[in-house]
Order: sequence, then C-alpha cells, then structure tokens
Amino acid sequence: MHTKRPWGAWAAIVVVAVLLVGALTAVSWDISVLRDSAQRSMAFGRMGAWLLAFASPELDQAFLQHCWALTLQTLSAALLATFLAIIAALVLAMGSSKAVSVGHDKQGVLGRWASRFTCSLSRLIQDVLRGVPDFVWAVILVALIGLGPLTGALALALSMTGILAKVYSELWDSVAPKRYEQVRILGSGRLGILAYGIMPLAARSVQSFTLMRAECAIRNAAVIGAVGGGGLGADIWYQIQFGAWSKVTTLLLFTLALTLSADLLSNLIRRQLRTDPNHPRAKNDEPLWRQIGRNYLAVGIMAVALGWSLWFMGWGNNAPPGQQPRNFLAPATELFSGQAWQHLSFFKRMLSPEFDLAALGIGEERVVEARKEAGKSVELFVKHSPWEFYKKEAWQGWNAALNNWFVWKVITSAGVPLAMAIVGTLLGMGAAALLSYPHSFSFMWESSQFTGARLPWWANVLRRTQLVLARLTGLVARGVPEVMWAFLFIAFFGPGILAGALAIALHTAGVLVRVFSESIDNIPYRRFEQSFSGSLPVCFGLVAVPVAWRDWLTYSFFQFESNVRMAVVLGIVGAGGLGFQFSFHFEWFMFEKAATYLLMIIALTVGIDRLSRALNLSRAG
Amino acid sequence: MLKRFLLTLCLGLFTLSSPLLAKAPERLIITAIPDDSAENMREFFGLIARHIQASTGIPTEYVHVENYAATVTALATGRAHLAWFGAVTTAQAYMMMGDELEVVAARDIDKGFISYFVANADSGIAPVKDLKELAQLAKGKNWNFTFGSKSSTSSHLMPRSFFADQSGQRPEQVFRTVAYSGSHDVVVQKVANGEFHIGALGQPPYERASDAIKAKAPIIYTTPKFTNYCFATKKSLGRDTIDAIHAALLSLHASEEGRKALGYLKSQGFVDANISEWMSYVELLKSGVDIGK
Repeated sequence: MHTKRPWGAWAAIVVVAVLLVGALTAVSWDISVLRDSAQRSMAFGRMGAWLLAFASPELDQAFLQHCWALTLQTLSAALLATFLAIIAALVLAMGSSKAVSVGHDKQGVLGRWASRFTCSLSRLIQDVLRGVPDFVWAVILVALIGLGPLTGALALALSMTGILAKVYSELWDSVAPKRYEQVRILGSGRLGILAYGIMPLAARSVQSFTLMRAECAIRNAAVIGAVGGGGLGADIWYQIQFGAWSKVTTLLLFTLALTLSADLLSNLIRRQLRTDPNHPRAKNDEPLWRQIGRNYLAVGIMAVALGWSLWFMGWGNNAPPGQQPRNFLAPATELFSGQAWQHLSFFKRMLSPEFDLAALGIGEERVVEARKEAGKSVELFVKHSPWEFYKKEAWQGWNAALNNWFVWKVITSAGVPLAMAIVGTLLGMGAAALLSYPHSFSFMWESSQFTGARLPWWANVLRRTQLVLARLTGLVARGVPEVMWAFLFIAFFGPGILAGALAIALHTAGVLVRVFSESIDNIPYRRFEQSFSGSLPVCFGLVAVPVAWRDWLTYSFFQFESNVRMAVVLGIVGAGGLGFQFSFHFEWFMFEKAATYLLMIIALTVGIDRLSRALNLSRAG
Repeated sequence: MLKRFLLTLCLGLFTLSSPLLAKAPERLIITAIPDDSAENMREFFGLIARHIQASTGIPTEYVHVENYAATVTALATGRAHLAWFGAVTTAQAYMMMGDELEVVAARDIDKGFISYFVANADSGIAPVKDLKELAQLAKGKNWNFTFGSKSSTSSHLMPRSFFADQSGQRPEQVFRTVAYSGSHDVVVQKVANGEFHIGALGQPPYERASDAIKAKAPIIYTTPKFTNYCFATKKSLGRDTIDAIHAALLSLHASEEGRKALGYLKSQGFVDANISEWMSYVELLKSGVDIGK
C-alpha cells in the first residue's frame, strides 16, 4: 500500500529529537567554564599558549628521527593488523551474512536451524570482538605472547576484525537478491553465489570501507604503545597529557602525512576503479590488458605492503626507542604451543560476572538477610506502588531503591557514552552536510560539465580555493584522532561530557564530510543536467542531497556505532561513565565486576548492530 | 624469508618444549609501572637493565609499557621477569599470584615515602596544616583536583586515604571534578598551567620537575610516611637467578650507570625488602578501602 505522505521520516525526526532531549537532560553537562569569567580567562590563556606552541613544531634532528622510527613502527603494525583483520573478517562475515550462511534455497529443518545458528553465533562473535576495547585485548594478549609491537598489532587486528566483519556482512546482505539471481539459478552453491554474485556487486563499498578503516587503524593505533610496542599514537597521547605542544605538533604532522598519503592512495584507487560509463573522464576504449592489469597492480601493491610489514617486524631495524631490534614475530609461534594458552587462566574470573543477585533477594538466605539488614537491597514497591507512576517522587524512590543493585549502576552508566555519541554524531552530521558542498569535486571543480556555464578565471580560482580549504579542514578534523581532540577540549572545558561530545563531533564531521561528498561525486552528471536551474547551491540542496541521502544515513549510522565505542574509550580519559568504570575495575583486577561492565558494553554494541540491521540502512552496489 | 620464518618457528617450538631452559631465562625482561615520561623511564631503567646484565651475565632488556595492568599481567604470567611496582601494584600482584611473588629489593626512600599536595600558584591557596583544613577551604570554591593514575600509590591511594581519614569526606564530595591525569609528572604540569587547582603526587617526581614548574605549583601539604615502590619477581625464576639480581640491585651504586639511575630515582641505594612489608596494603585493598569508584 502506498500512502501519499510517508510517516517514516516524521517518526525518524521525532525519535532523533527525543534522543537529543534525553541526551541533554539525562546526564549533567557542565558548562560552568563558559559562564564563570575567571575560569574562562584561564581557559583562553591555555588555548593561546597551545596555539602559540602549535605554530612552532619541534624540528630537532634527533626528535625527527624518533618520529620517523615511530612512523615506520606504526605503519608496519597497522598494516599487519589490517591484513590479518581483512582475512579473518572475510571468513567471519561469511558466517554472519544471512545471504551467505542461510541463503535463499530451501533447506531441511535441521539444515535451516544449523545455518541460523551459525549466523547468530558469528554475529555474536563479531560483536564481542568489536565491543571489547582494544587495550583489553592487548592486556589479555600480553599473557599469551608477551610484550612487544606484535601484541599491539594483534589486539588491533582483533577489534578491526569485528568492525570489518560487521560492515562486510551488512553490505553483502544489502545487495538485492534479484541482482545475483542468475548465478543462483544456474545452480551455484552459496559460496559460488558469494564469489560470483554478491562480492563483485558489493566490491566498491567494501573497498571504500576497508580503506577508511585501514586509515583509522593507522591513526588511532595507540594500543600498540600500551603494551610496549612504541608507535605514534601512544607518543601523541603521552605528549598531550604532558602538554608538550611543540612535540605534539611534529608528531601530528607525521600522522597527518600518513593520513594524507592514505587518502590520496585511496582516491587514486577509487578513480582507477570508477565504473560509471557516463562519467566524462571514463575510459571506455581501453585495451583489455590495461583493464585487467590494474587488478594485478593492486594485488601487487598489497603484497609488497604486507611483505614489508612482516619483514620490518621480524628482521628490520624495528626497535621501539631505547630497545634493541629483535624478531617480534617469534613470540607468535607460542600461540601454537599449548603453554601460552594456559596463561589465559589469569583472566578466568572474567567468566563469572558479578550480577549481585543478593540485592534482589536471590541466593543464599544468610547473605540476602545481611543485605536487607544493611538496607542495601532492592525493595521497589514498598514506598511507592506501581500505580503512582505519575508522581515524580515515585520515580526518584524507585531509582534510589534500584541503585542498591550493582547491575542497575552498570546499566545507568551507559547513559554517559550514549549521550556523548548522540550529541556528537548529530553535531558532526550537521557540520559535514554543510561542508560537503564546498568539499564536493563535482560542484567545485567540474560543475561546468553539467551547468554548461563558462566562468571567468577568477570565479574558477575562487571555487577551487573553497574546495582546497574544505578538503584541508576535513583532513585535519579526521586526521587528528578523537582522543587528541578530546584532550584539547579538556584543556579548555575541563574533563567532562562536553569535551568528549565536541571531540566526537569534530572527528565525525571530518570523516563524514569525506564520504558524504564522495557519494555526491558518484552521482552521474546527467542527473544534474536535466534539473539544473541556474544555481549551484539549489541544485546541490534539491537534487544532489536527496539522491545521496540514503548513503549519508548509512554512513552516519555506521559512524554513530563507532562513536558509541569511541565514547566508551573517551570515558577512560576523563569523561566518566561506562568506559571509566570498566577500565577502573579491570585495572584493579576486579575481574568479576569488570566483566559485568564489559557485558554492558557488548550489549550496547549488539543493540545498535541489531537496530541498524532491522532498519536495513545499508545499500551496496 | 619464508624459510627463515619457518626456522624461527621450529626454533621457537623447540625452545618452548624443552623444560631445561625454563629455569634460567635467556633474556631478562624488565618492566615498570608507567609513572613518568616514556623517555625518562626508557633511559634510566635502560641503565638499570645494563647494570643487571653486566652483573648477572644474562642479557637484560627494559620494555616500556603505558598501562599499569599490563605490568602486573606480564609478571604474573611470566612474560616479564622483573617488575618495578608501586605498593598498590605489589599488593595487586600478590592478590593475583599469592606466594609466587617475591620482592627482590626496594630503595631506601621507599620505606618512608611521602606524597605532596600541590596547588596552582595563581589560585592563592596557602599551605595547610592538615587536609581537614584544605577540605574546609575548598567549600563552595569549585576547585578541580587531579590524582595521577588510578592504580598509583603515592599519587592516588595514599593521598586519597589520608584525605578521607583527616577530613572525613571523599575528595569527590569536596572538589568540583576529581580527575586522573595519568602520571606524576603530568599532575604537576597540569597544576602548574592552571588546568587543575590542586593535585597530588609522589616526592621524587616533584623534585625532578624544573624550578619554573615548582614555582608555579608550590607544595601546600606533605603527607605522613608510608611504604612504596619495589622490584618484584616470580619465584619460579629460580633461586640462583633471583639471588644474582638481588646482588646486582644492591650494588647499583657501584657502577657508573647505576649511580645515574639512582640519581634519577632520588635514592642513595637499594636495600633488602620482604613482601611482609607490603602486606598491610593487601589487607587495605581487601578491606574494600575507597579507591575512587
């Protein structure tokens, strides 16, 4: 049934508004820095000192060499992690993609159950991999293979596997079954359908996301240093804490150079693989060997990169500062001996999370009685019955009663990262949408292709300057890790949710503006041509944005999910909430309670993942 | 390359499967809790590693980590052989490892360690005679407070417990925000530049700070004495090896590099120590003392 006015959009707007209001009211946003004049002037002083130091990077010869060594370490560990993650994620995604593991053919009852089970299990595995913060993987891996850069790389690979497997499986599932029906009808099995039907159709989106993630891995690989591997991320983290801004500037320049080259490389690959035959730059008359040769070239580059990172970690001059170089690959052999796995028993207590059932009156009578006498058990409807739900005091009373239960505290602590992520994502989305107009190549550089206008040279120069400025803004916003933005805002606003949300917003804007304008640039120009009415901004707002809107939503939702995880991590650096509580209990080796918080983090991840699958936002091909 | 990799693999498997080599390790890995800048720690703990190598004849290497929990995990699972712990991490390691943990040596100053409360010079906070006075001064002032790391003894647990004992209140009830900056040197830096009004840190890191920073972050209170850092190891390392390390640490002042390291550690030399001196911390942690949840 078709309705003239779809209600879905309105429902979405209402939901977003409710979430926003909830995020702004449920947790306390401390903005006293902006109101108190003494604090404000101090904050401005710090920002001024920061800007001044920022303009004068540390260019000492020894420090530059140090940075270069760190860059190589980061690159090798991040590349290795990315390759391992891609391989593992491809396998895992086969399980968690419904189109592959369940398929469309008729199966027996047993077969259907088995494949459904595989699918749910794989999804759960990837959620756990993604949900557990990477520094926790790192500490666990220390028990398995000891300290060193390989430990950091493997930890990075584990969490990246979770992210990539989710993206791959969602993209595969979003290819319409009609489009690969021929392969199925010809009698191909499910793997055949994947290889010859689904994968080629989803390849472009898959590539795009893989490159984006690889870039993130290079930037955010602070975890490599957490367990003794060196690397840019850990050094930046430390120097920011210490306020050595001139060194931070140098380190950031190195990071930005890495990001920029990854950016340019991925743009190059994208351009090479552009398939729109209507694009004015499309090459339709190329000889076959050149078309095929490109793929071999891509594979060759990847092989060289992998080979280099393996060689560097094993035999190159790979010493983290102050250590002798040695073969950091060797510890991996211990994974194949049973002994290393025995060390995992160190974390055995993580398997028995604390549910504090005594507070609910479940369990040993003696313990329950003791809790009751201490007044620390949940007695929900003693003071206020459920029929008093319209009274404010009743809700406060219930909350106070529930607060005696440990699990309730765990659940409510999730409010902080959620609030940060919601506000940060919405702000970032808005900024990215505004910035994507000057950021768009087709509107700023090639617009004459569909407007037909011949502009004077100065107008062209003006537009191109806009493009370059917008691209630079985007590059800096996403090239600087969230944690770094968070520290900057903490220096200004003091530690708290506000600093975290702004950091997330800025980084989100940088990431989204790139993919937003990419999807604008992917629109064939003939679609603009027929509806162009003389004004570029109007054409952008009324034609380009509606066409790209669904892609924008997909990307934003992905970003929201990763922002929630980032907000959990930012909790560790001073914004509080779930992440802080988890890392606190983990680092004090209170594994039972830490495990409860970890379950909550995983539950958040699972919840958002299932929601995004239910909304069916992603679209590939 | 592949051949060499396979060779390493075989060698690795062989090394692991031979029980003889488990006793005296081929390479001693030293690690430490990250309570100072990575550069400083790499330099001076690297010197200690060199001294131990020269003295025991076993190749020794310092591996710097940026995570307190990773040091305890590394020692408990035998991935590091010698670890420089604070009192809290020692107690945590004891709770994880039991009698398997052995304290090898401690500095002379670790048996009577003190922490400082420092305040930003511009905020006009005068020295106080005790923390009760500080808590009263802080009433309604919206001051920010920072500890070092959550798992630190002299920049968190002891200052916090002295504060609670003397004022009868938690820092969270008195200050607007209570944050954890990461390490001692960051605490004094952040107090000096005004990001926080007050902070707590151990004595040696404060003395290492430059005079300019000290002038901007003067001491307003000195805590009573308590026990702190030590070098800890695992008994399964073997009596002979442990004795050799013990002798090396006690003779640290005898070598050039050892003296440099001692200068950094603000100590005259290492002395004998026993886990029993840290047992009060184990009791403290088990008693559910406030650790700033």
